[in-house]
Amino acid sequence: MKALIVDDERLARQELRRLLLAHSEIEICGEARSGEEALACIRRQAPEVLFLDIQMPGMTAFDLLEKLEDVPQIIFTTAFDIYALRAFEAGAIDYLVKPVAPNHLAAAISRLRPPASASSLQRVFVKESDRCWLVQTTDIYLLESEGNYTRLYFGNERALIPRSLSALENRLDSSVFFRASRRHLINLRWVAAVEPDVAGGLVIKLKPGIDVEMSRRRAALFRQALSF
Amino acid sequence: MKRTGKFYWLCQICGWGAYTVVGISSSVLEHGWTRDVWGYTFFFLYNIGLTHLLRGIIKHRHWASLPLPQVLLRLGVASVAIGVIQAALVVGIYTALEGSLGVWRDWHAVAFLWTGVTIATTVWNILYLAIVSLRHSREARRQQNQMQIALGNAELRALEAQLNPHFLFNCLNSIRGMIVEDAAHAQDMVTKLANILRYTLQRDRNHTVPIETELEAVSDYLALEAVRFEDRLRIHIDLTEEVRRLEIQAMLLQTLVENAINHGVEQSPESGLLSIRGVREGERLRIEVENTGTLQNPESRSTQIGLANARERLRILYAERATLDLLASQPGRVTATLLIPAIQ
Repeated sequence: MKALIVDDERLARQELRRLLLAHSEIEICGEARSGEEALACIRRQAPEVLFLDIQMPGMTAFDLLEKLEDVPQIIFTTAFDIYALRAFEAGAIDYLVKPVAPNHLAAAISRLRPPASASSLQRVFVKESDRCWLVQTTDIYLLESEGNYTRLYFGNERALIPRSLSALENRLDSSVFFRASRRHLINLRWVAAVEPDVAGGLVIKLKPGIDVEMSRRRAALFRQALSF
Repeated sequence: MKRTGKFYWLCQICGWGAYTVVGISSSVLEHGWTRDVWGYTFFFLYNIGLTHLLRGIIKHRHWASLPLPQVLLRLGVASVAIGVIQAALVVGIYTALEGSLGVWRDWHAVAFLWTGVTIATTVWNILYLAIVSLRHSREARRQQNQMQIALGNAELRALEAQLNPHFLFNCLNSIRGMIVEDAAHAQDMVTKLANILRYTLQRDRNHTVPIETELEAVSDYLALEAVRFEDRLRIHIDLTEEVRRLEIQAMLLQTLVENAINHGVEQSPESGLLSIRGVREGERLRIEVENTGTLQNPESRSTQIGLANARERLRILYAERATLDLLASQPGRVTATLLIPAIQ
C-alpha cells in the first residue's frame, strides 16, 4: 500500500519511516512537511494511507482533510492532541501517539483495509461545527441535494458537505448509487422495499425508515438497472 | 483566651465601678458619709457577681449562637430577673444593716430602685452582646482571610503553568529519532529535558526566582525546540546583567516563550523569529517576548485561557502591580509585554 508521511518535524518523519521498515506491505511514496505539501503530494501520488500529524504549521490535519475530494485511509499521529480526535465518532479512526510504539503501529496497520480496486469515491470527510466523520461511502444510504451542498445520510447523522450532488454522483460507484430523483441519490444496498405509488412511480423504502419517491420515468430506469 | 478574660474583668470592674462611684458620690453629696457607702460597695460586688453568673449562663447555653430575637428575649427576661434579685438584695442588706425597712417601706422607692438596676443590667447585656458579636465577626473575617489565602495557593497550583505535554511528547519522539542519528546529541537532549523537568517540578511554587535561573530553563527549552524546528527557529535574547539579577515569578517567562513558540513559530511554515528583551524602567521591569506570527482569532480559546491564567497568577503574586498584554506590534509580529515590579 502506498503511504504518505505528513509531519512538520524531520526527526518525527524519519522515526516513523524507520519503524515502517518492519512493514513490507507499506510502501512510502513520499513525505510532506505541511498541509500544502501533503495536498500536492496526494494529488500527484494518490497514496492509499496517510500517516497524518494533527498539529502542523499553516494547515492543520483537519483543514487538509476538508480540501481532499477522496480521502485515503488515515492513521493520525499526535504527541498529545488526542482531544482533537474526540470530534470523531468513537472508534471511527485510528491514531498513534508519539513516540510511536512498534506494536501499536503494527495493530494500526493490520486494521487497514485492502485497497479498493475501483477508482470510485471510498471515503468522505464530513465536518459539522465541532463534530466530524470519515464516512465510508458504503455507509451512506441517501444523498440529498441542497443547492451547491449535499446532505449525507449515514448512521443516525444527516450532515451537510459543500459539494454538489452531481459532482458526488460522478465520483460514486454507479452500480451502487442510483439517482432516484432530481434531488436524491440512493444507495441500492440500503433499499428495504419498493412499492408502487398512484402516479405510476415508485416509493423506495430505505432500511433506516426513510421513503424516497421516484417518478414514472426514473422508475423505468430503476427497473432496468435492477434487471440485469 | 487569657487576653479575653482580662478584658472582660477590666470592663466589669470599670463599668460597675463607675456606676457605683456615681452612686456613692451622689449619696455623699446629698447625705454625707453615711452607711449608704457600705451599701453601694456591696452593690458593686454583687452586680459583678450576678452579671458574671449571667455570663456563665450565656456561655454555657451558647446564647450567642442563637437567632437575634431569641437572644434579645432571653436577655430581656434575665435583665428583669436580675433587677428583682438586686432590688431584693439591696432592701435585704439595708434592713440587715439598719434593723428596719426605713425608706424602702415606700414601694415607689423599691420600684425606682428596681427600674435603675434593670436598666443598668440591660446596658450591661447590650454591651456584652455587642463585644461578643464584634469579636465573633472579627474572628470570622480572620478565618475568611485565611481561607482566601489557602484558596489563592490552591488556585495558583491549578493555574501553574505546567510543562506543555505536547512539547514533552514531541521532544521524547525527537530524542527517539536522534538516538539513531546522533547518539551524543540525543544524550545532550535528555540532559536538557531533565533540567526542565526538574525546574518545573522542584521550583518553589508561589515564589520568585532570579531571571538568570528562569533563563536557564528557558534556554534548555529553546534548545530542545530548536532540534524540533531545525532551521525554522531563530532566537534573539537581549537581557542585561542587571535585568538578569532581578526576580521574576517562576515559570512566567517560560510560559510566555512557550506561548510564542506554540502560536507563533510553530504555526509558520517558514522560519520564525523569537526575541526576548528586558529593560528596567525605574521601579518597574519591562519584559517583551516577540514572535513572528499573527494574533490568533478571538475564537481561539487556548490563547485566551493561557493569557487569563498567566494574568491570574500575576495577580496572586503581584496584586495589581503587574500587567500583561498581547499585541500585534507590527505586521507579522506579535509581542507579549509584561510589566512587573523590579525586585532585586
